[in-house]
Amino acid sequence: MTNYDPDKHPLIEMKGVTKAYNPRKGFFGRKGNKVLALNDIDLNIHKGEIFGLVGQSGSGKTTTGRLLVKLEDPTHGKIRLKGELINDLGGKPLQHFRSKVQMIFQDPYQSLNPHLSIAETISEPLVVHGIGSPESRREKVIQTLETVGLRPGKAFYNHYPHQLSGGQRQRVAVARAIVLDPEFIVADEPTSMLDATIAIQLLRLLSRIRDEFGMTFLFITHNLAAAKYLCDRVAVIHEGHIVEVNTAENIIRNPEHPYTKKLIKVQPGFRF
Amino acid sequence: MLNNHYVQRFVKGWRIFIKNPVGKAGIGILTVFMIMALASFCLPLFGPMYDPMTGIDPNIKISTPPSLTHWLGTDNVGRDIFAQLLEGAKVAFIVGLSSAFFSIVLGTVIGMVSGYAGGWVDAILMRTADIIMVMPSLVILLILASLFGQFNIWLIVFIIAIMRWPAVSRVIRSQTLSLKTRPFIEASRVAGASSVRIIFRHIMPNVLPLAFLYMTFRVTAAILVEAALSFLGFGDPSQVSWGMMLQWVWKSGHMFQAPYWLIPPGISISLLTLAFYMLGRAMDEVLDPRLRKEGQS
Amino acid sequence: MSLLSVDNLSIGYETKNGMVKAVDGISFSLEKGRPLGFVGESGCGKTTIGMTLMGLLPDNAKILSGSVRFQTQDLVRLTEDQWRSVRGKDIAMIFQAAMNALNPVYRVDDQVREAILAHRPDISDKELNHRIRELFELVEIPYERIHDYPHEYSGGMKQRVIIAMALACQPQVIIADEPTTALDVIVQDQILEELRAIQSKLNTGLIFISHDIAVVASICEDICVMYGGQIVETGTRKEVFSSPRHPYTKTLLGSYLSLDNEEHIIIPDMRESADLTLASGCCRFQANCTACDAACKSDQPTWIDISPTHKALCCDAGIIRNPHD
Repeated sequence: MTNYDPDKHPLIEMKGVTKAYNPRKGFFGRKGNKVLALNDIDLNIHKGEIFGLVGQSGSGKTTTGRLLVKLEDPTHGKIRLKGELINDLGGKPLQHFRSKVQMIFQDPYQSLNPHLSIAETISEPLVVHGIGSPESRREKVIQTLETVGLRPGKAFYNHYPHQLSGGQRQRVAVARAIVLDPEFIVADEPTSMLDATIAIQLLRLLSRIRDEFGMTFLFITHNLAAAKYLCDRVAVIHEGHIVEVNTAENIIRNPEHPYTKKLIKVQPGFRF
Repeated sequence: MLNNHYVQRFVKGWRIFIKNPVGKAGIGILTVFMIMALASFCLPLFGPMYDPMTGIDPNIKISTPPSLTHWLGTDNVGRDIFAQLLEGAKVAFIVGLSSAFFSIVLGTVIGMVSGYAGGWVDAILMRTADIIMVMPSLVILLILASLFGQFNIWLIVFIIAIMRWPAVSRVIRSQTLSLKTRPFIEASRVAGASSVRIIFRHIMPNVLPLAFLYMTFRVTAAILVEAALSFLGFGDPSQVSWGMMLQWVWKSGHMFQAPYWLIPPGISISLLTLAFYMLGRAMDEVLDPRLRKEGQS
Repeated sequence: MSLLSVDNLSIGYETKNGMVKAVDGISFSLEKGRPLGFVGESGCGKTTIGMTLMGLLPDNAKILSGSVRFQTQDLVRLTEDQWRSVRGKDIAMIFQAAMNALNPVYRVDDQVREAILAHRPDISDKELNHRIRELFELVEIPYERIHDYPHEYSGGMKQRVIIAMALACQPQVIIADEPTTALDVIVQDQILEELRAIQSKLNTGLIFISHDIAVVASICEDICVMYGGQIVETGTRKEVFSSPRHPYTKTLLGSYLSLDNEEHIIIPDMRESADLTLASGCCRFQANCTACDAACKSDQPTWIDISPTHKALCCDAGIIRNPHD
């Protein structure tokens, strides 16, 4: 990937992306209906922005994230990173892609291998991409731990996930995602399992990382308020369609699509 | 890999294990047999008369009941039964543990690969497993033995291992299938880890306890198969084993004349397999918290 | 006379590290027609309270002190046999994982029928069918859908069935433990609406437990804010949410994101989870409290009244009395 010009191409470009799942055939060969998780999605994410994808469960928001990190491949349509098609990557180019795009998962209790220490977890991306010596990796891991607010990094280095709280685990997951200095991170509901006081600190951390390192984020959430707080632009996704894309401010203030209006209306708040 | 974390896990598991009366009894019986197996290495110290295979008491030409010189008596050619029993313990451990070990290694690796790879790899491996699983292993062994004559002990170990991996691989495969979709495996894929790395670094530590559990049950099976084979006369003729001792009792027509010769190997086979079975049951409890009583966590 | 009153209740869990006090000396009372809300974060003891009121504490839990007065009895002293006649009949619960509380192999109306028959075995068929019809009308499930199996229902509809089952025996107290946590916001809004309507129609006692302060605020008249097994502030919803006094309540409200408050967000610096092994009666928020001083470590916090209905638990009356901080 050479000579990328952020003005010419968005960092991420999805064009006409459709993802269909084939449910298993019925017991007597009855044919199940194809389920369209995503239906003809167009989406551009620009370098350096935090882009919010808001939707309810089953809306296709998680599928979108999984397509963008190539955990799955689209049925139709094209996905580009920095103007280059990623649909059919394999071998070396795929490995290069994997060093540029990372993901933060929803459940911090499930996303860390219970048998690996914090150090082993965070250094894994460095190891598999053959970056640095054991000493320099150790330095990098400690430095990353401190970046995500686990200070002093040395104190957490040899811990295991079960010794950490949910909020601390999620910080470890963030550390694993940023340790390679990727260009694009998909954060799939990173705060939905955390208590409000811990969640808000994590949102703050993500926004600080963006400011400090210039990484681009896709923030997937069901919480419109969180998207508004963190994101520059927001897309609302409903039943596999993107119904509205706008700046966070505008979407809340002048929602156009009826679904967005409904979503705003039912946001819990203090009405009494 | 051997660090504090694994030691801690082991200690924690051990504490639960040893609280269980079944586990305690299993360990107790096993210890006795282990001492017997170790004692068999000391037999040469007592002179050639106590060699379990070739040591013949020059004064005895027939099977004799227990005496001071022969604690459990002698067989029909004057060999010491106690010495044979000790030697048999050693052989039982070798046969049981090594064939269980091979079948577990085979089953675990095949199970993990099959579960993780999916698709046609999975289909081929699992159909093979199905075919082997439905074959009656003892009958196959008997047919092979009748074709090729008596087996060497290591060949028996090997064949038992080959016959016994499929059940393990099925269990490991289903465990792998559920692990495969866990976010920490996906996180590792996103980070760029290769399939080999994911299988051995991320999946293996999570399935190993289960593999060990199955190993204890496989030991039981292997010991029984070897004993049956030997008793039926297809064992390794150059090795003393408990099954072989039973075969000798039967062949020499002492089945109902020499209980001191018949009972020790018979009871040993039952007790040792029982011990491994109890070990497995207690380990099951360590691995499955639902079987645990409150307050033991 | 209140419907249910809890006095100085303490509950401990036996763990390998000794006794952990999940609930430490709490008192409250529930009035008819005034829903009471418990709000707090995971591990604050709110679910343990719900389980105590249902007699469903796990085996390793122990009621250390206190009483729960309901009608003429002290629920703390009931035997399992006595509980069986209270649970589901006088006090009913809407569970957290309600979606999985329905048995997949029985039709939903049969499951509601079962719930009624459990406490009224001699009810006539005619009356039983009438009652089932009434319940499904109450939770707004169309009559033609009542013979369906649970998997044919959406998440919201399953939750309605659970509510219908809780209402089956006309309980005097309903305990709702995070009843909407697993639902989408749109469905959550409908269910909350439903609960509000049913509550005002039937005028039962309702205890509503949630981690989401806005959800609690939308249902409950009275609020108890919990931290580390203690109630740290209690009052009417207006008092607690418009004029929070306890440092933890302020933290909780300050970190709650809604669509129009981002300029008021205060990023808290919560490092530690509450230490449940502290001696009883100590302030458990001290490790995370910005206003904490040396006195907090040694003193026992006391209840400081702000109004007849509004009070907070703290060592420093000055902090609590001062509305601005």
